[in-house]
Amino acid sequence: MAGIQIERVTKRFGPVTAVRDLSLEIRDREFVTLLGPSGCGKTTLLRLIAGFMTPDAGAIRVGGITLSTPSAVVPPEKRGMGMVFQNYAVWPHRTVYENVAFGLEVRKVARAETRTRVAKILELVNLSGLERRYPSELSGGQQQRVALARSLVVEPGILLLDEPLSNLDAKLRERMRWELKDLQRRTGITFVYVTHDQSEALALSDRIAVMHQGETMQYGAPRDVYTRPANKTVADFMGLVNLMAGRVLRAAGDDSLVAVGGNHPISLALPEGLAEGQAVQVAIRPESLRVAALASGPTTDTRAAVPGKVADVTFLGNVIDCHVTLDDGSRIRIQVDPTQTLEVGQRVAVRFDRQAASVFSG
Amino acid sequence: MTRRAARRHVRIEHVVMAISVLALLLLVVLPLASMVWGSVSEAGRPTLAHFREALGSRLYVQALRNSLVLGLWTAVLSIAVGVPLAWAVSRTNIPAKRFVHLTAVISYVTPPYLTAIAFVNLFSPNAGLINRFVRDVLGVPGLTFNVFSMSGLVLVTALHTFPFVYLLAASALESVDASMEESAQILGAGRWRTAMAVTLPLVAPAVLSGALIAFVNAIALFGSQAIIGLPGRVFTLPTRIYALFDYPPQYGLASAIALIFVAITVVALYLQRRYLARRSYVTLGGKGSRPQLVALGAVRWAVLAFCVAVFVVAVLAPYLTLLAVSVSKSWGLGFWQNLTLQHYRFVLFEYDVTRRAIGNSLLLATAAATLTVLLGSLVGWIDLRTGIRGRKLLDYASLIPLGLPGIVVAVALIQFWLRMPLPIYGTLVIILLAYTGRYVPLGVRSANAAFRQIDPSLEETARVTGAGWLRTFRSVTLPLARPGLFAGWLLVFVPAIQELSASILLFSSESITLAVAVYNLYETGALEPVAALAIVTMVIITAAIGLAARLGRAGVAGPSRVERATVTQ
Repeated sequence: MAGIQIERVTKRFGPVTAVRDLSLEIRDREFVTLLGPSGCGKTTLLRLIAGFMTPDAGAIRVGGITLSTPSAVVPPEKRGMGMVFQNYAVWPHRTVYENVAFGLEVRKVARAETRTRVAKILELVNLSGLERRYPSELSGGQQQRVALARSLVVEPGILLLDEPLSNLDAKLRERMRWELKDLQRRTGITFVYVTHDQSEALALSDRIAVMHQGETMQYGAPRDVYTRPANKTVADFMGLVNLMAGRVLRAAGDDSLVAVGGNHPISLALPEGLAEGQAVQVAIRPESLRVAALASGPTTDTRAAVPGKVADVTFLGNVIDCHVTLDDGSRIRIQVDPTQTLEVGQRVAVRFDRQAASVFSG
Repeated sequence: MTRRAARRHVRIEHVVMAISVLALLLLVVLPLASMVWGSVSEAGRPTLAHFREALGSRLYVQALRNSLVLGLWTAVLSIAVGVPLAWAVSRTNIPAKRFVHLTAVISYVTPPYLTAIAFVNLFSPNAGLINRFVRDVLGVPGLTFNVFSMSGLVLVTALHTFPFVYLLAASALESVDASMEESAQILGAGRWRTAMAVTLPLVAPAVLSGALIAFVNAIALFGSQAIIGLPGRVFTLPTRIYALFDYPPQYGLASAIALIFVAITVVALYLQRRYLARRSYVTLGGKGSRPQLVALGAVRWAVLAFCVAVFVVAVLAPYLTLLAVSVSKSWGLGFWQNLTLQHYRFVLFEYDVTRRAIGNSLLLATAAATLTVLLGSLVGWIDLRTGIRGRKLLDYASLIPLGLPGIVVAVALIQFWLRMPLPIYGTLVIILLAYTGRYVPLGVRSANAAFRQIDPSLEETARVTGAGWLRTFRSVTLPLARPGLFAGWLLVFVPAIQELSASILLFSSESITLAVAVYNLYETGALEPVAALAIVTMVIITAAIGLAARLGRAGVAGPSRVERATVTQ
């Protein structure tokens, strides 16, 4: 019903192209996150979906009905969507009840029904009993819930959320995150969620669209985006990652060899289009590497490990953050089990989990 | 060592506090007290006779009613003009926004008595230029407008007060976060519904607040009320008080009426503050997004036409009239055959009264602006940077003059200084005291705002790196606060150079001021020299604003000095 088709949409502001020829398909009842650094165009895309902006090219359709083209835009008030803003935008001159009831008043819903629906939605967001308060008498988290309730009470098919949790403190953010997810499951509303916080995106979404400079870099399930980043930008944005310079020794699909860390061959899976002798970058997360003391003498499986020297060890509680200098002088970061004892200067073997490594042309 | 530093710090606080308290006592509290005493006493004996007469005699009740009617209608007209202009400038895509803004600024700085004189030239019942044109050329005497009436007075006054509403409404409209309105829109509300349900309630406190300030200002303006009201027999509180100083002066009755006047003003200002404080939703300088401008299409030309109409009535007509009169040998003869600069020569060089008046006003305005900013800095510093007891009281005391119309300040000062052995009555000193007292709130507010913007940590950094209190103040606080203080200085200088309401009771032939000279010349019927002097006044004001704007900009180079202070010391 309320699936969204975004077809080759472009939006420019003077010389800046905020959204560039972008296409995205959002399914009904899906929780999709637009993830990217500030200025990547994610908020612009959200406002295009809401109808606050006119695209310069392309079209936006909802449930097969065209809402936005460069020549005609259905205004926001006719779209029947909901939107939650970063600063909540709860009206300070209206009580909680009046805030939430507004959308129903506009729709000319009978007073008695308005009352029951507002009561129900306030219960859903845990605000029962605060109907007569003014926003200035509420905490940030409560205001956030008023904003949510106000959008949900009109039962929109689509809810747009623009960094709704970024103004909350860390603890509350975590709780609201869970509540949002739960709310989406229970209401069956399509959520389009904008954030720059990758952990938020991973925790909430059915699918994540990673955006960069107005384009989608990757669109997929959180696990895929995290473990199989489509390119360096995505890998970098999705969290801590080591990028190691290397060279292809043998290009043979899953059974390829790449030289890293001073000409040590490692067995890795290569994507299509990389040839022998080509310079590449190997992206691997700190938690996908293991460190073992380097036994003197030949090791069994040299094709899964690279030798190096421990440069720095930092105890972080749940993990140990360990920096290892490889033979070519480059440094990589490894998270190891806190029970392991490592000493600075010690020679170690850094083991690769080949499933977790991605290779990009360098 | 730390203990010694701490003790010295406390001592500075106390010295500053003592100076501020003394100044406020002398400028405000004691004169006010002696006026209050004067209103309830006669020859040293307590009596309520003055209040009985003030509230019982038809003469004064009528004046009170006229003042209220004038204030209310002026407030209404100020909203009617100010809000559309504010909306046009901050929310629509009309062209020439700077021009609209400038119209409001010029209207604000133009002394209302000059507008009044210009409008008398245009609309006096018989000789007014436009009235003559309508009657004799167009032949429709029914369309003439008699400026000597309550309507005339309201019109002229509102041309001076609408900028209060305009400025407050415009800044409120600009600072309403766009998401407030977009939230309503996405919930299905159209443009009109959004405006009524969200925008209007959010900016209403600012509009109302502007209207109340317009009200307070309107009823206090002596010049326009005398020039337009007296011939039209529309007597108001200031003109009645003025009349009571004719020989023999009736100080007691004047004081009683002045206190009633103060009561009205204070109630209005109290409402304004309370309403604003309780219902101020607009967050200034917020990080939220700016509202999108409404694309008006063809309607914008109609909106612009309204703005141009305001410009014509408020700025163009009065200034053109004054300019034309000032260069005519005799107003009313053929214009192009009678061009002359003789009136300028007369007021600038030949007539010693006007010459003296110009010098006096320049001196008084400069001194008053400097003194108020200085005193304001002391009070502001005590309030923001010390924990000294009674600092809030001091801050409040410095705001008292806000509730005192100019003529009331004069009444109070006269009462006080006539009882003192120091013979300053009739000198420039008493006028300086009046100006300084009147404008102290402006100085305090500006200084307070300027200091508030400076995070104490900046000063503390300087102290930690070894700079003493004075050095810190000189190289950190002052440079950072300078633009704000300069704005405050200008804020006092401009009204002081044109001050009439207090000066009219305090001047002598030696201490005559610019505005009083204009008024006196007008009273003698010397239209052309009056117009010339009016233009001179405006040139001085414009030059002062231009100069101050330039100097103020140069003073913004503060932060680099802070760096120097914190790094090198």
